[in-house]
Amino acid sequence: MQMTSEALERAIEELTRLPGTGRKSAQRMAVFLLKQKDEKVFALADALVQLKKSVVRCSSCGTITEQDPCPICVNPKRQNGVICVVEEFQDVYLIEKTNEFSGVYHVLGGSISPLENVGPDDLRIRELLERVRISREGMKGENTVETEVETEVGAAAHSMPDQTPITEVVLALNPDAEGEATAYYINKLLQPYNVKVTRIAYGIPMGTELEYIDEATLGRAFASRTAF
Amino acid sequence: MRIERLTLRNFRNHGETEIVAAPGLNLITGPNGSGKTNLIDAIHYLCMSRSFVMSGDQYVVKNGESYFMVEGDFRGSIRASFTVGCNYSRGQGKKMFVNDSPLEKLSDLIGRVPVVVMSPEDLKLTRDGPVERRSFLDSMISQVDQRYLRDLLEYRQVRRQRNKLLQDAGGRWSVIRDSLEVWDRQLAERGAAIIQTRAAMLERFAEYLATEYRTVSGLMLKPTLRYRTIAEEWGDAAELTEIFMRRLEEVRERELEREQTLVGPHRDEIVFYLDDMDIRKYGSQGQHRLFSMALKLAQLSVYTDELDDLPILLLDDLFGNLDQQKTETIVKALARHRGQTFITAASEQPYDEGLFRGDGGAGAGSGSSAHRWFTVSEGKVHLKFTEENHGI
Repeated sequence: MQMTSEALERAIEELTRLPGTGRKSAQRMAVFLLKQKDEKVFALADALVQLKKSVVRCSSCGTITEQDPCPICVNPKRQNGVICVVEEFQDVYLIEKTNEFSGVYHVLGGSISPLENVGPDDLRIRELLERVRISREGMKGENTVETEVETEVGAAAHSMPDQTPITEVVLALNPDAEGEATAYYINKLLQPYNVKVTRIAYGIPMGTELEYIDEATLGRAFASRTAF
Repeated sequence: MRIERLTLRNFRNHGETEIVAAPGLNLITGPNGSGKTNLIDAIHYLCMSRSFVMSGDQYVVKNGESYFMVEGDFRGSIRASFTVGCNYSRGQGKKMFVNDSPLEKLSDLIGRVPVVVMSPEDLKLTRDGPVERRSFLDSMISQVDQRYLRDLLEYRQVRRQRNKLLQDAGGRWSVIRDSLEVWDRQLAERGAAIIQTRAAMLERFAEYLATEYRTVSGLMLKPTLRYRTIAEEWGDAAELTEIFMRRLEEVRERELEREQTLVGPHRDEIVFYLDDMDIRKYGSQGQHRLFSMALKLAQLSVYTDELDDLPILLLDDLFGNLDQQKTETIVKALARHRGQTFITAASEQPYDEGLFRGDGGAGAGSGSSAHRWFTVSEGKVHLKFTEENHGI
């Protein structure tokens, strides 16, 4: 085979690396881009460059953001005494879309999985414990809470609102073996801090008929039923 | 449950095959290597997402082709009618579809169309190692209990994770102490659930087995079974979980040494006896054959009694090595099955006489419905004979 355009070949090669993209799809995309107007393609290229250049991790919760700390962490309307622990930053978006949660987040960056060589130290678990510890340091002397917290957190993040003591940690991890192991591990480490540890319920998807639910899901939903 | 139309493409030696099956008995005859078994294996794919002759998907693809496809229209009493599809291609792997929408997990398919297979391979059930018996039991329970299948898959995953940790430890307990704990608990909880379900099923199963063995052998020897697991007896699941945790502690040193999980349902054994004789050790060739048949017939009875829909029965070359008299006994035993049946056979001998006659209680799988007879040669299927409504 003889190539007439090395640039096209290179573009196809790069596109093949995208998830779910085989050589044929990559070829179709590359040819499509080639036929597009210049500014459209440059806009795409620029978006990709900015994605890598300006997106950072929030130093507090670990989600991705362009301003550190992220808009959720600095929002004074959010209850920062309640932390929702998730595996990946995408999960933050999912939960945000529900409009059900007004606390703040903590992104672990995955779950414990020896098979993938991910241990507790590879996740942001220590950072979570730190957040809980620091927030609760002033709790014994009620009057001094505000000033103490201000100096502790203020140094790292100037625009952060006052940190109230963290009273609840919500575990919103995947209901698989790895998520369970991670939840179990975190719960154990949080015991000394005397915070309430909760987890989101296993249940039946909205808008589905019971008939179509598999027994396993239905069984779990039953086990974690709530008062009407 | 029954399959109405079956389509295969590039499936072993079938290039393009479509059959419309009878609701009752479907007889498939043809010379060796003509592709009879492939037809019922394709049905098995649609029920269990894999081959029953235990070969990888890549070997199912017809020579010189890059993919295979199987599709079937099913009709049952609960789920009125639906289509199951299976696509496999080199590179893209296997995908299963129900009514054209892809299944997220292959395991979601299991139990939708209950199936029982009887084949010469069944001899392994009593003759070979415990793996064969565990997988028979797992497959039997999974089709009636989705929760069990989920527990099995999760248990396997937890065990893999745990084994990896044990390997990482390099024999030093201190290294993995905290990490192992979170897996131990999960292993014990899921393991206990699996053991509970297995024990409950085996208790019911033992009675069916006794009945079926009597039917196929005509003898009064009593088949029994013993379930060997992590404990002799226990109360509820919580207690079993605690026993499991204690056993893990007991074997910790050896687990660190061997770098794998040494206790749990993955090491369970089921021992079969005829009266007091351990079949695996002392059974004769004939006893093995009859016992393994009784096991499958008992599975069929469990499904018939416990499921809303009758299972599909697939009989692969079952009569090849049996004498005339034994064949008749088996045919009689099978005649009780009122659901859909597929039988493959190299010879046409006992069938044209027995099965297609309406008399004498023969007519396995007849129920109230029609029969069809297909002949296969070199991957091509022809309808040889059809009888709609064969009386009752």
